[in-house]
Amino acid sequence: MSNEGSAVDVVMKREGWLAQAGNRYAAGIMGLILLGSLWALSIDTRYVYLLVYVWFGMVYGMFLQYGRFCMAAAVRDLFAVGVPRMAVGMMIAVALYSLIAATVTVGGFSTFHSNALGWHIVLGGLIFGFGIVFTGGCASGSLYKAGEGNVGSMLVIVAISFSQAIFVSAGTWFDGLLPSAWIESAAAKDMPAELSVTQGWFDIFTAGYVWDLKGATLAQILGTTNPFVSSYLVNTLLVTLLPTLAILVLLYAVYYKKGYLRRAKISAPALGDHARGMWSMFTSSKNTAIAGIGLGIFAGLQMWVTGALREHYQIYNFGELLSAMGHTDGLSIQETVFDPGYWYITTQEAQWGGWILEKLGVNMTDNIFFGLDNGLPNPLLNAPGFMSIGIILGAAMLALSRREFKWKLPSMETAVFALVGGTLMGLGARIGMGCNIGAFFATVTNGDPSGWVYLFGMTIGGYLGVKAFNMWIERRSSQQDECEL
Amino acid sequence: MSWLKNFWRGRKVSITQDRHWVELPGVGMVQVARSVDCLGAVCPRPQLLTMQMVEELAEGEVFELISDNPTSVETIPSLVMVLCSSHLATVRDAEGWRIYIRKGM
Repeated sequence: MSNEGSAVDVVMKREGWLAQAGNRYAAGIMGLILLGSLWALSIDTRYVYLLVYVWFGMVYGMFLQYGRFCMAAAVRDLFAVGVPRMAVGMMIAVALYSLIAATVTVGGFSTFHSNALGWHIVLGGLIFGFGIVFTGGCASGSLYKAGEGNVGSMLVIVAISFSQAIFVSAGTWFDGLLPSAWIESAAAKDMPAELSVTQGWFDIFTAGYVWDLKGATLAQILGTTNPFVSSYLVNTLLVTLLPTLAILVLLYAVYYKKGYLRRAKISAPALGDHARGMWSMFTSSKNTAIAGIGLGIFAGLQMWVTGALREHYQIYNFGELLSAMGHTDGLSIQETVFDPGYWYITTQEAQWGGWILEKLGVNMTDNIFFGLDNGLPNPLLNAPGFMSIGIILGAAMLALSRREFKWKLPSMETAVFALVGGTLMGLGARIGMGCNIGAFFATVTNGDPSGWVYLFGMTIGGYLGVKAFNMWIERRSSQQDECEL
Repeated sequence: MSWLKNFWRGRKVSITQDRHWVELPGVGMVQVARSVDCLGAVCPRPQLLTMQMVEELAEGEVFELISDNPTSVETIPSLVMVLCSSHLATVRDAEGWRIYIRKGM
């Protein structure tokens, strides 16, 4: 921090690391994860594929908590309070992830699949971006805040899970509003009858619209064949690094320059002053910058580890390992399950909601999302689901050990915001093919320009969300003398 | 049952104006003009309250923000920079954090 305040801890430190209750709880969680891992491996060593998700999730959770890496804030704080801290942290993570992703791709271990590019990406991003202003956290943010004991964030996760599950499977009353061309196109896809792809708006949207679109990395669009040129120069430099740099310069010029020059008492800035200003912006929150570096590196490593395991077991999808181990329940009709091989949040949460609804007697497999693509595995065998649980546990461990864990019950207003905002996030994530991680972070870093389109939508949604949120606060404070929570 | 009351009515943010002196590590004695207790409030409210205080106080006055929301505590020093004010100190206690901010540089 350049206009430094000191950070001081006035709570007495007792002797010994384990003397603190928080550290004991953190060690206990770590012990349970270790024991659980050993137990799974003792049943079948192939569970290592699932455990990789758990362990990477745990690392993500720790970095997220360490840097208070709230990606909702990346968009919201720009408009609400004019602070670029999180947007900068996010861009650092994007730049590093893209460099490692390029290396992983050149090595032949990439697990990445492009998203189809169309208007739905902007719309999905917009709805998602609007929702996160009200929930106070994105999908990953809600997971790590749940790990800090925030019950409101737990409600957000519940809302995201069930809203997605309902959106992708729900009934036919909405179908009449969809273009008939989509229904015709969906009917022409010759899909198995049990999926009933001409019924249910999400099926018609997927089969009749998204499948007709193209998704590709820039290298695929340009047709470059040399792996070094396509990974490093085209996908990483052109799609990720240059736009990232442009955004950072823009953030500096709009949000940081004025205050920095005034503080440093520079009246006629030269290029060097701006370079120092940019550096000051990067380091204005060291924790956030460190978290960005860590998240970028580990997100890249996860693709590499999962890719190497797929090669080792000669599989394309975890569904094959599950069948080989005798777990055929919950596989899709292609015998697959959701298994991205990289950081992803929303789809596995949809599966949790879908699995519970299925157990309650709702038919959840007559749709493309669960029935054909992602399956509906038991949460105990849901590998990406364990990544989400890993994030919660990793964040909880670090929060406990830093004495930042605190049970926080929401007020009714916060709870309503969590449920409504979480529902909007679920809807936006399904229309836009993911959250800010799956549809933005993991895509732009792998050379798929559709992620920037998602970010554009999310930024507009965030802007509108902040406007609506401020209107609500003004209304509330005009009703009462004191601002209520 | 206080949580039930908090659930229905919301926990109030209290802004008190009794001036008092505190000793801040590395800064010395500082007179606090206002104290904002927003324990329980989540993003972006502590940030918005910080902006409101910076707007309302006179140049050179100090206020104290009490928060238990880690993300806000991380963001506020950066926010204070953007607001051309000074972050004096962040003090951790059992409840959460007390952040001291002086309007102006």
